[in-house]
Amino acid sequence: MVHVYNCHPFTSQHIVQVEQEPGLVCCGGGALFVVATGGCKVEAYSLEKEGCPLICRFATMGTVRSIRHSNIGDYLVTIEEKNSATYLRAYTNWRYQAEEKARVGVRLLGHLLGGASMSGGVQMEIIEIPLSERPVAVACCSVTGDLLVGCETTLVLFTLRRQNQQNLQNQSQQNPQSPWPNTQQIFSQSQGQTSNTNLSILDFERSVILHIPKMTPRQVALCGGYVAVQAELEVLVLKLEATLEPKTLKETSDTEKSADYLEDQVDFLLIPRHQELLGDRAKDCDIPVSIEKTGLVDRGQYTLSYVLFRRFSPEFFQGCSVEEMQLHSLQLYPLFTSNQPVSLEEPSCMFCFFSLPNAGYLYSLKGGVELLSTYQYPEKVLEAVLTDHLLHVITKSALQCFTVRCAAVAARIEDPYIDTTMKACPPSSLEVCALRMQLFIGLRSVCVYGCHVILLSAADTETPDETERTTQRRGLELKEHTKLTGIFLAVGIDPATTPALESLLSRPFLSRKWTISSPKETSSAGHGWNLYVVDTVPPLALYQEMVEYSQRYTETNPQAQSLRHLLSEAHLLLRASLLQKQDQRPIREGGPAVSLQAGSGSGPARKNTVDRHEVEEALRQNCAQLGDCFSRGSQKDCHLALPYYRMSGLSVTEVMARNRPHPGSPHFYGPGFLFYLKHYLLEETDQTLSQESADEVIDIFSQSEPSLLVSVCASPSIVNINPARTLRILQHLEDTVGVSVPLTITMATMMLRLGDMQQYTQLMERHAEMLLVYGFIEESRLLLRGGGTGGGSGQQKQVCPTELAQQLANSQPGLLVAAMVALHENNKVQLEQADHIFKELGCENCLQVDFWEAMLMASSQDAVIQELLFRLVSVYIERLTNSESKLPHAPPKRKSLKSADDLINSCSHFGALYPWLTVLSPCHTTSSQHQEALYKLQSLLCGPSLALGSVAPLLERLSEETLWGFSLHLLCATRRGLYDSSIEKLLDRCPQAIIAFANHHLQDKNMALWWQKLLPELCNRTRAAADNSILLAALKETLVVVAMETSPAEFLELIPDDGTASYFLPHLLTCSQRHLLA
Amino acid sequence: MTTKTSLLKVILLGDGGVGKSSIMNRYVTNKFDAHLFHTIGVEFLNKDLEVDGRQVTLQIWDTAGQERFRSLRTPFYRGSDCCLLTFSVDDNQSFLNLGNWKKEFIYYADVKEPEKFPFVVLGNKVDVTERQVSSEEAQQWCQENGDYPYYETSAKDATNVAVAFEEAVRRVLAMEERTDHLIPTDTVKLHRKPRSAATCCS
Repeated sequence: MVHVYNCHPFTSQHIVQVEQEPGLVCCGGGALFVVATGGCKVEAYSLEKEGCPLICRFATMGTVRSIRHSNIGDYLVTIEEKNSATYLRAYTNWRYQAEEKARVGVRLLGHLLGGASMSGGVQMEIIEIPLSERPVAVACCSVTGDLLVGCETTLVLFTLRRQNQQNLQNQSQQNPQSPWPNTQQIFSQSQGQTSNTNLSILDFERSVILHIPKMTPRQVALCGGYVAVQAELEVLVLKLEATLEPKTLKETSDTEKSADYLEDQVDFLLIPRHQELLGDRAKDCDIPVSIEKTGLVDRGQYTLSYVLFRRFSPEFFQGCSVEEMQLHSLQLYPLFTSNQPVSLEEPSCMFCFFSLPNAGYLYSLKGGVELLSTYQYPEKVLEAVLTDHLLHVITKSALQCFTVRCAAVAARIEDPYIDTTMKACPPSSLEVCALRMQLFIGLRSVCVYGCHVILLSAADTETPDETERTTQRRGLELKEHTKLTGIFLAVGIDPATTPALESLLSRPFLSRKWTISSPKETSSAGHGWNLYVVDTVPPLALYQEMVEYSQRYTETNPQAQSLRHLLSEAHLLLRASLLQKQDQRPIREGGPAVSLQAGSGSGPARKNTVDRHEVEEALRQNCAQLGDCFSRGSQKDCHLALPYYRMSGLSVTEVMARNRPHPGSPHFYGPGFLFYLKHYLLEETDQTLSQESADEVIDIFSQSEPSLLVSVCASPSIVNINPARTLRILQHLEDTVGVSVPLTITMATMMLRLGDMQQYTQLMERHAEMLLVYGFIEESRLLLRGGGTGGGSGQQKQVCPTELAQQLANSQPGLLVAAMVALHENNKVQLEQADHIFKELGCENCLQVDFWEAMLMASSQDAVIQELLFRLVSVYIERLTNSESKLPHAPPKRKSLKSADDLINSCSHFGALYPWLTVLSPCHTTSSQHQEALYKLQSLLCGPSLALGSVAPLLERLSEETLWGFSLHLLCATRRGLYDSSIEKLLDRCPQAIIAFANHHLQDKNMALWWQKLLPELCNRTRAAADNSILLAALKETLVVVAMETSPAEFLELIPDDGTASYFLPHLLTCSQRHLLA
Repeated sequence: MTTKTSLLKVILLGDGGVGKSSIMNRYVTNKFDAHLFHTIGVEFLNKDLEVDGRQVTLQIWDTAGQERFRSLRTPFYRGSDCCLLTFSVDDNQSFLNLGNWKKEFIYYADVKEPEKFPFVVLGNKVDVTERQVSSEEAQQWCQENGDYPYYETSAKDATNVAVAFEEAVRRVLAMEERTDHLIPTDTVKLHRKPRSAATCCS
C-alpha cells in the first residue's frame, strides 16, 4: 500500500536559458550539463548560482549518446558516435574551457606526457578510452571516482588514477601495496584543483573485465565495490573485492560448464520466470560471470560474489503493454554514518534501486540483502532518481515523489541502541508514501543535484516519426509470431488450442528492441521544449508540513494508523537530514567541484550547527508526538512509547501532562503510557518527582493498575508523595483485594512517614517476621533505595537504606539482618551494597557483623563464605585487641544477635571448641565481650571451613603473651599439624592442658606421638622438677595410654634407664596382661 | 528523413614547423603568434560555419608533426572526414614528406577506399620570399596523387586560409551525398536473434 499525503515537496521552479533544444542532461559538481540534440556540444550551467548562468561551453568529438559526471575527479564521461563508430571518452579540466576557442588536448588512456602539455597553462583534456566492444552504458563510483563501462557482453572497470607533476616521472611504480587507488591521496589533491602549482592529471587504469555472456547490459552502476548491471528485465548486483594474496580462480571451469549447459536450454527459456535471489543465493541465477584481470601492475586478485539477482517475466505486469516493460533507472546509493566501522571509502550502507514503468524496487545490500520498499506507481514512470530524502519519478506529465527508507537502515547501523527500550526508529519496512505531484507537459528526463531536480520536457513533435516506426515494427512482429508459433508446434503444442498462448503470441514482446530510439532529433518548429530546475523544500520545512498535516488526524482520530505513519515519515525525514549533515566528511569539502555534494547548500560551519540544532529539536518534538501516539494506541507496539518519550527529552511530569485525559472524557490511560511510567518508576533514580506529580502517579495506578501500587510506592522517584493521602488509597486497596504482606509494609512505611509509631508498630506486628522477610524479598525497594532490582547482576549501583530500614535497625535489628540475608540470597543485593547499607545505618561494627554471621548460616556460595570468614576473623581479632587495650570506643554498642554458643550450635562453619581450650582460657578471666569474640574466633579455627592460609597473617600479629593469644597460636600450629612443637609449647606454658590436648589430637596416625614425643618430654621434665604434680599426673596418664597401645617389648624399650622400676612396673603389667588377652 | 549529423572532422597533418597550429589558430580565432609552442599529441578546436546553405560544425584537429609524437597522434586519425596535408613552401623536405603523411594517414585512419578519400593540400608560408617549392611542383604532385585541390596559404597574413577550409567542407559534403545514395545510415540491427525452430528440434 502506498499512502498519499497532500504535502508539498517542491518550493520553486525556474527555467534554464538554453539556446538549442537539449538532448541529454546530466548534473554533478554543482553544474548542469546539457547536450544539444544530435549535437556535439556540451553546455555547463551553474546550479549553485541564481538563474543557472552558463559556466562554459565545449565541443565533443562526436554525437553524444550518453553522458555522466563524476564528483570525484570532476570529470565527464561520454559514449559518442562518429561515422558509425562508438567511442568512450572522458573530459577532464572542463572548467578551464571558459573561453570556447581554447584548444583542447586529446590523448589515449595511459598516454601521459611529462608535464610538457602544461606549457600553455591548464588545458581541457579529453581522454579516449579504447574498448574492444561497443560501449552501451557508463557509471561512475561516487566514492572512488572509478569508472564502469558496460559493453555488449562485458563490464570493464577502470580505476581512477591521479598523477601530479612529480610522480609522473616514476609513474610506473605507483602504489603497489594497495589494490584500490589511494583515494585519500586523491581527495587531498582535489583540494588544490584551482591552483596550477599542485595540478594533477587524471588517468584511468583498466583494472578488471567481467564477462557476462548471458546478459545484455542496458544500464550499469558502480559504487564502493558493488557492481550492478541491468538488462531489459534482469538486474544483477555483484560485489567486487580486491584481495591482496593472489588466488587462483577455482570456479572458472565450473561457470563455463554451466554456461554450456544453459546454451542448450536457451531456446526453451522464451518466457523467463519471475525470480528474486538475495545474497548468496543470487549465485544460483543462470548468469555466469568470469573475471579477466588486466591491471598492468600486479595488485593481487579480484574476487567476485553475487549479491542480488532479480528477473521479471513480461506477463507479470498489468496496465502497461509488454513492450514497454523494461527496467530503467538503475542506481547504487551509498550512505555514510558517523561511526564508520571501517575505512572512509567504505560506506556503511549500500542501496540498490531499479524501476519498471509501473513499480520501483529499493534494496538494502549491506548486512543482509533485503527488499526495503516496493513503489507502486499510479502511472507509467519514465525515469526515477533516488536521493537521501525522497525518490523522484517522472511520468509523461508529472513529477512525483515518494518517501524512502534508507535513513531507517542507516540509523540502525549508526546507533545499536535503536530497537531497545532506550531508543527507537520507525522500521525500514514502513510503508512508503507518495507526496503531492507537480504537473508538467511532455517530460522526458530527470536528474537530481542536491535539492535541485532538473527536468527536461519536450512537446510531442515526432508523431509522424512514431507511426512510421510502428508500421515498421508490425512487419517484424509478424515474423516473430510465425517463428514462435513454429517453435510451439515443434514441441507439440498448438497455440491455436491454447487461448493463453495465443494471446501471448499476439503480444509483440519480442520486438521490444525497436522501441528504443536514439535521442530525439531537433525539431526547429517552435520552442516545444524546456529545461526546468525545480527546488525541493528543505527537509525541515517538509517535516513541519507533515506535522501540521498530522494535526488533522490528531483531532479526528488520534488512534488512526495514518497519524502514526505520518509521524514516522516525518521522523525518517529528520533522521535522513541528520545523517546527511554528519556526512560532511573532509573529502566532500574538498575542491570547489564537490563542496555542494551534501546538497543542502553547505554554508559556513556555524550555520550548519545551527541547522543541526534545529533538526535535533524537531526530532525531539517528533519523538514526543510519536510517544503520544504509542502511549495512547492499542496494545500492539505500545512499548514504543517508552523509547520515543525517552528520546524526546520530556520529564515524567511533562509526559503525564500530555497523557492527562480530557475532563469530561472517560478516564483512560493507554497501555503505552502505563508501560512507560512503570519502566520509569522501576529504572530511573536520579529524578525525584514533586509531591503533586508523585500523587498523580499514585492516582494513575490506583485507577488503572492498582496491583502495582505497592511497587510504585516503593519507587524512590515518588518519595515526595503525601503519606496520608496514599494511606487512604492503600487502605482502600486492602479493603478490595485483601491483606498482603508487602502492602502492609508499605502502609507501615506511610505511618512511619506520618510519625504514627503506634500504628506503625501495630501494622508491623500483623505478620510473623518470616512473612515480613518474604515481603521484603517481593519488594526489596521497601528497604533499599537505588539498587538495580532487575537481577542484581551487571554493574553495581549505589544503594541506600530507606527510612523503614533505619527504623528496623533500631526496633527490629534481627528482622533487618534476616531480610538483608534473604535479599542477598535472592540476588537482590550484593555483599558490597549490603555493607554500604549498614554503613549508612551507622552500624558497621555490630549489625553488619551480625549480618555476616547470619550470612554464614544461610549462604552456600563458597566464594562468599570464604570472604565472610575472613571478614569475621578480622573483626574478632580487632575486638580482642581493642578490648585488651581498653580504648573507649572499642566495645560494640550492643550485644551481638548471636552468641558464640548459638553459632556453634546452628552454623556448620563454627566448630565445637576443643576441650583443651577450656583448660587454657577459663571463662572468668576477661570481659564477656572479649570472651565472646575469643570463643567465636576459636570456634572458627576449630571449624572445618576457615582457610588458615588467608587469615594466618592476621593471627601472626597477635602477641603470644596472653594466654588467649597463646591459645590462638597453638590452634594454628595444631591446624598445621605441628604437634611436636605444640606439645613443647603447651608443656612450657600450660602443662595442665597437655593431657586434654593429647587426648584430642594424638589419635590414630598421630598415636605414636604419645610415646615418641610426649613420654620422653614428660620424663625429661619430671627429671628436672620431680615435685611437679601436674607433670607427674600427666606422665601417669601418658603411661596409661602408652601401656594400652604398645607391646610389652616396646614398652620395655620406652622405660627410661634411670627410671624407678616400681613406678613403671604396674603399667608394664597392664600392658602384658592386655597383650596376653589379645 | 532525419538530418545528417553536421560535425565534420578535419585533420591537419604535415612536418613539424610547417604551421599547422598557426593555420588552425588563424582560421578559428583569426590571430597569429609567431612564437607558438610545438604541439604535443593532439588538440582540436570547433568552428561553426555555413557552406552552400548548410550549417556545419568543423572540428579541426591539430597534430604534432615531430616523429617522436607519432604514437600520440595516430590513434586519432580514425573517423576523420577530411585530411589537410600541409607543407611549407620554404622547406623542400616538408614537401617531399607529403607522400609519407598520406600513407600514415591512410594506414591509421583505416580508410576503406583511399582513392576516394578527400585530401586537400596546403602549401603554407607563401609570405616568405625564399621559396624552395614552386607552385607548379606542388600542383603536379596533387595531380599525380589523386587530383587533390591545392591551396597556397599564409597563416601570417591570412591568405587563403578560410578558402582552404571551405573547400575541405565542400569535398566532404560532396563525398557524403554520393555515399548517402548507396548505404542507408539508419539501419536496424537485431541484437538477440531468437533461434530458428530447426535448431531447436535437432
